[in-house]
Amino acid sequence: MPAVLRKAAFFAILLLFWQGACSLQFCPDYLLPAPWQVVASLAQGWREGTLLYGLLISLKRMGIGFGLAVLLGGALGLLVGRSGPLAQAGRSLLMGLQSFPSICWFPFAIILLGLQEGAIIFVAVMGAVFSAAIATRDGIGNLPRNLTGAALTLGARGWRLYTAVKLPAALPGIITGLKQSWSFTWRSLMGGELLFGNLGLGHLLMQARDLGDMPRVLGVMLTILLVGMIIEQGLFARLERAVQRRWGLESN
Amino acid sequence: MERVLSAEASSAAYPAPLRTGEAPGQAAEGRRPWRSVVGRQGKAEAPEKLALRGIVKSFPHRRGRLVALEEINLSVREGEFICLVGPSGCGKSTLLRLIAGLEKPDAGEISINGQAVDGPGAERAMVFQENALFPWLTVLGNVEFGLAMQGMGKRVRRARAMEYLAMVHLAPFAHHYVHELSGGMRQLAAIARALAVNPAVLLMDEPFASLDAQIREMLNAELLRLWAETGKTVLFVTHSVQEAVRLADRVVVMTYRPGRIRAIIELDLPRPREEGDPGVVRTRLAIGRHLREEVTRALQEERNHAGRT
Ligand SMILES: Nc1ncnc2c1ncn2[C@@H]1O[C@H](COP(=O)(O)OP(=O)(O)OP(=O)(O)O)[C@@H](O)[C@H]1O
Ligand SMILES: [Mg+2]
Repeated sequence: MPAVLRKAAFFAILLLFWQGACSLQFCPDYLLPAPWQVVASLAQGWREGTLLYGLLISLKRMGIGFGLAVLLGGALGLLVGRSGPLAQAGRSLLMGLQSFPSICWFPFAIILLGLQEGAIIFVAVMGAVFSAAIATRDGIGNLPRNLTGAALTLGARGWRLYTAVKLPAALPGIITGLKQSWSFTWRSLMGGELLFGNLGLGHLLMQARDLGDMPRVLGVMLTILLVGMIIEQGLFARLERAVQRRWGLESN
Repeated sequence: MERVLSAEASSAAYPAPLRTGEAPGQAAEGRRPWRSVVGRQGKAEAPEKLALRGIVKSFPHRRGRLVALEEINLSVREGEFICLVGPSGCGKSTLLRLIAGLEKPDAGEISINGQAVDGPGAERAMVFQENALFPWLTVLGNVEFGLAMQGMGKRVRRARAMEYLAMVHLAPFAHHYVHELSGGMRQLAAIARALAVNPAVLLMDEPFASLDAQIREMLNAELLRLWAETGKTVLFVTHSVQEAVRLADRVVVMTYRPGRIRAIIELDLPRPREEGDPGVVRTRLAIGRHLREEVTRALQEERNHAGRT
């Protein structure tokens, strides 16, 4: 059976279980709505335009937040990738900050930037910037010694050594790291939107909760899940494979 | 002028038995087919290209330091082909990296054309055993790389790179990516890339070590042709005595820990050198003897070391 069919079958079985649980009526349908109720609620959200609007707002924030995280993280990674005691101290601070829950930056961001768009994006950036920095620094730190040696003996110097050799050489590893950074950004953004609902999918989710509208809650949750899966598997995994193929790193 | 099997450098610390047989002019004439070298046309008179004087290099090791190289002195003439052999870990790669400027010596001086070396540069291009081509570039892109770093314009450097690719017969593969090439072709591409920047000295660290014997033999012949065409000064590290004897004007045998020059063997044998030629066979045996003794010593040392810890 082809992989696509296998996956479809798996999801169909999940749906069946869900429907089955509803039909047996363990609990009332305002607590556990049937799949079709969730779909209907999604369809309604789509018709009203709220769903699409929320989605676009969240994606825009993601784009900005992730873009900033990659730029800042990349620069930070290059900085702490240098040798010397300062860079070493920087690395241990990075490790610490990576495990620091990004949503805890929210109060800080609100005081700093006010209770608005900037604060939400700030939290999204903080979710990913450190893992992007670590991915960059690991990618560049683990290059084969001969590769940089060859570049140096061919006359590569200074920033050109980075742009022309180290970054491209480390790209496969960096992309794998960025895939993870992306999911960190997504989580942080949703956290931010939930806490301070100002449009976006997280806000829709909170609205649905305020209305006690379980089908809508599940519908938005499903949307968030799908967006995550599509971007991670559809975009990043594809990009990762393409780069690995070009770099000759494929296992086959 | 009969310096033949001589350790040009610091040989004072060898175990005595290894020394006696090698003191210049002591051994039987017949065992020295490579002896009349000094008369080798042109080479002896050629100006000095590369000079190593009193090179010392150590690395941090456990709680002390590991002396990888001690008192290396060597003078290489322009256009000379030098092969470096020695037991694994004796510091051959370290010596090449020092000359390339990728490492700094603790003491001593390295000079090219009389100018002290400081840091890496394209006048000392290096070819490595593997993993040194840029996989995100095509073969052509790789050969162009050094020229681009010199700031050469796109059209000029493309033409120049194609010339060098043609020289190693890789022109048809110019637009292939590195991983699409066989191991032998990759090494040829790496050689073309190094030659393209027109280095004063070509450093080669076991460039053919991961290839099978037939390919290696072919590439040895190819390298000799390139060497004759370009007149480059070459320092070539190998584990294979056979390869060294096929290629070198002089073979430098190194000792194990600390790495010193144990002997320098001059080969005055016409090329191409046939495996069965009596002169070739004798030279191979002589170098093999030196090497075997060093390898045995290295193994013993390692064993003693393992016993102690
Ligand atoms: N960067 C380094 N840090 C610490 N020790 C090193 C470093 N580079 C080399 N050494 C040590 O120096 C010694 C010489 O190493 P080197 O790689 O030059 O040997 P080699 O003769 O090239 O060996 P091989 O034939 O296996 O390639 C070895 O004992 C090695 O462990
Ligand atoms: Mg080596």
